[in-house]
Amino acid sequence: MNGGERVPPGDVAPRFPGFDVLDQADHWDDATRSVVLSRVHALPPIRFFTPEEEAAATCLLDRLMGQDDDLDPHRIQLVRMVDGRLAERETDGWHYDSMPQDDQAWRDSLAGLDADARDRYGRSFAECGLEQQRELLSAIHGSDQERWHGMPPKQVWSLWTRYAATAFYSHPEAWNEIGFSGPAYPRGYKNRGVDKREPYEVPDARPSDDPVRGRRG
Amino acid sequence: MTIAVRERNESAWLLTPRGGVDHRLRDDMRRFDDDDEVDLVVVGAGAGGSALTQRLARKGWRVVALDAGPFWDPEQDWVSDEAGSHQLYWTEPRQIGGSDPVPLGSNNSGRGVGGSMVHYAGYTPRFHPSDFSTFSTDGVGADWPIAYEDLKPYYEQMEAELPVAGQTWPWGDPHGYPYTPHPVGGNGELFLRGAERAGIEARVGPVAITNGRFGNRPHCIYRGFCLQGCKVNAKASPLITHLPDALAHGAEIRADSMVTRVEVDERTGRATGVHYVRDGRQRFQRARAVAIAGYSIETPRLLLNSASDRFPNGLCNDFDLVGRYLMVQGAPQTGGRFDAEVRMYKAPPPEVSTEEFYETDPSKPYKRGFSIQTVSPLPITWAEHIMAQGHWGADFRNYMSDYVHWACLGALCEFLPQPGNRVTLADEKDRNGMPVAHFSYSQCENDRQLVKAATAVMERILKAAGADEVVTIDRYAHLVGGARMANRPEDGVVDGECRSFAVPNLFITDGSVLPTQGSANPALTIMAVATRAADRLIAGPDAPRREDAAASVPARA
Ligand SMILES: Cc1cc2nc3c(=O)[nH]c(=O)nc-3n(C[C@H](O)[C@H](O)[C@H](O)COP(=O)(O)OP(=O)(O)OC[C@H]3O[C@@H](n4cnc5c(N)ncnc54)[C@H](O)[C@@H]3O)c2cc1C
Ligand code: SF4
Repeated sequence: MNGGERVPPGDVAPRFPGFDVLDQADHWDDATRSVVLSRVHALPPIRFFTPEEEAAATCLLDRLMGQDDDLDPHRIQLVRMVDGRLAERETDGWHYDSMPQDDQAWRDSLAGLDADARDRYGRSFAECGLEQQRELLSAIHGSDQERWHGMPPKQVWSLWTRYAATAFYSHPEAWNEIGFSGPAYPRGYKNRGVDKREPYEVPDARPSDDPVRGRRG
Repeated sequence: MTIAVRERNESAWLLTPRGGVDHRLRDDMRRFDDDDEVDLVVVGAGAGGSALTQRLARKGWRVVALDAGPFWDPEQDWVSDEAGSHQLYWTEPRQIGGSDPVPLGSNNSGRGVGGSMVHYAGYTPRFHPSDFSTFSTDGVGADWPIAYEDLKPYYEQMEAELPVAGQTWPWGDPHGYPYTPHPVGGNGELFLRGAERAGIEARVGPVAITNGRFGNRPHCIYRGFCLQGCKVNAKASPLITHLPDALAHGAEIRADSMVTRVEVDERTGRATGVHYVRDGRQRFQRARAVAIAGYSIETPRLLLNSASDRFPNGLCNDFDLVGRYLMVQGAPQTGGRFDAEVRMYKAPPPEVSTEEFYETDPSKPYKRGFSIQTVSPLPITWAEHIMAQGHWGADFRNYMSDYVHWACLGALCEFLPQPGNRVTLADEKDRNGMPVAHFSYSQCENDRQLVKAATAVMERILKAAGADEVVTIDRYAHLVGGARMANRPEDGVVDGECRSFAVPNLFITDGSVLPTQGSANPALTIMAVATRAADRLIAGPDAPRREDAAASVPARA
């Protein structure tokens, strides 16, 4: 597996060509290495979601994180990571008083997504096409309604995106995509400061590719 | 100076020669029986609870500190990884509400020996003298029953014991630090550059990260995972700065012990000990005095859950003050985008601060102020930042792929204490059957104006440094209050020495007692308040009268 192949969606080439954070895994401490590698190689099977929920959650998480190519060999198994947290009740320790606890909120919101999909397209969320799924999600994201299937849509969105982003950016493949060097104990960093790099860090191939100003090539 | 520190607190010399925790100290730890009436039982071995425990153990008090979470071994238990560090946080259920609900979890409090300082950033500024009388001076907030001068000697002691590194501090009561400032990374460099160009004074520090020799404490390796627990033991937390010395002086730290209720004898009106759950069993530790130090959410929760005939609305709650005036600092974060690579993860997030805007500026429509510091979020936290802007899907990924180009500053705005911002008990229960805390929070107009002003200054600094784009998200940081100190029982739960007004042998020694919060990070002040309370206890009527008190357990030399 070569991190250099990690290309952000819609882009043609990687920003950090050849950078693979796992090349440094020998320099990590044992506890950290085992935690990180278990995300790559040893995710447990689905325990929390029902098959219907699993199908909806897979599509939801992949749309949120822009993993739109089912055949991409680098696709991160987000649904298994989220399922694991819910099965082990590894929550953030708080929930809005207007929402159920996280595990129930996930079940209720996935059922809500399927209900929306059936209403609008006559099939489950997972059976909808990518564009249809994105439309359904946009409607919730942009909603100014008080409630969506009994829950405040903003808080549902916050729940989904928190779990999705935590799963995605805990994965070494995602670190490769953004040039982040990952764990750094016990070695630490020697070259700190603007435009300084460790010998194994790869410079951004397109430093002026600023997402705010828009793509400049 | 190190000589004086070592005489007061030998913790740094009680680590192994390579700077790890010494397991022999834990294996040989003194263990009390539930039926032993100890001199003091402390609830929570965090910032306030650990400092108190260490001070009293050193004077021969028989002290047990109970903590709900584990007794950490940094080398085995902590990882150099964001998502893998979830066990450091208080993840038992809590509910949030109000018009501006404050998310808790990783961004708020810790669970386990060492408390929230295990995963705090490490900034250790003092409060300013003006913080102690905002009501008389600025007409907002509250006056403390103590003044800055009362805490000053304790600030100095804590700065030497943690120890703190930083430049000479020009703000508040100007002072120096025992250790020179650390070199800065990309984020700190840009803050300094931008501030200079914008005509704003900024300084490196103050951080509780060793820089140079201090006992067996290792040097920082600049790996940026301070908020995930410092495996190196370079960053201060009571686990390494106070508890080794406490253990050596005969204190017991009883981990995995969740206190559910404080017992008060209805006849004498005195606390007799605490009920707690360990290994699924209900137990009771007898004690001559009780100190609660469970953090601003759990301390009020425990008091409210300790209702009795004498205290039908919760322990110490005669005046309906328990849980109220809980404060959180408004902590907007502004990112600035540079074509150069910043790689802000390569340094401790706490690097540089300015307190130039800390005090009330009469030319402004709002009271009190804010400070600004580097924050340097790691990818998951940065992703939350970007998603809060409304990005998702391919657009979001593209945004994230730009991570190495961003610098990030955070403000701490002094939100004002309000009675309606409070902890109450929810209908929901935890697995021990104890009602969970509900935390309601709403901002006032002054709060909102501070956030706006702080955001404008952060944007100014980053643009002056050369950022072509800036984006800001609103966040919160640092909870304090909820059982505040005051001169009279009508105004607070404890007096200036942390003794509760309602129960003479019940103390509260954590961040809950702060009446105002300033725009400083609170940990140093919490430890200063707790060690001052310890000195009062030692000198006061509660000190054990045993002949052998001071000699009851000899220190392990
Ligand atoms: C991400 C983050 C960054 C921070 N950065 C900074 C910073 O840079 N500088 C700064 O000054 N502050 C910072 N803070 C805040 C600082 O860590 C806290 O304000 C401080 O530790 C609070 O001290 P405390 O004594 O009130 O409680 P804590 O240190 O939280 O200790 C409370 C302890 O009590 C235990 N406990 C609670 N309830 C019970 C119970 N019922 N029974 C038994 N045990 C119980 C808990 O397990 C915990 O160990 C940060 C916090 C966070 C979350
Ligand atoms: S940057 Fe320094 S203080 Fe922070 S976790 Fe790493 S070694 Fe510890």
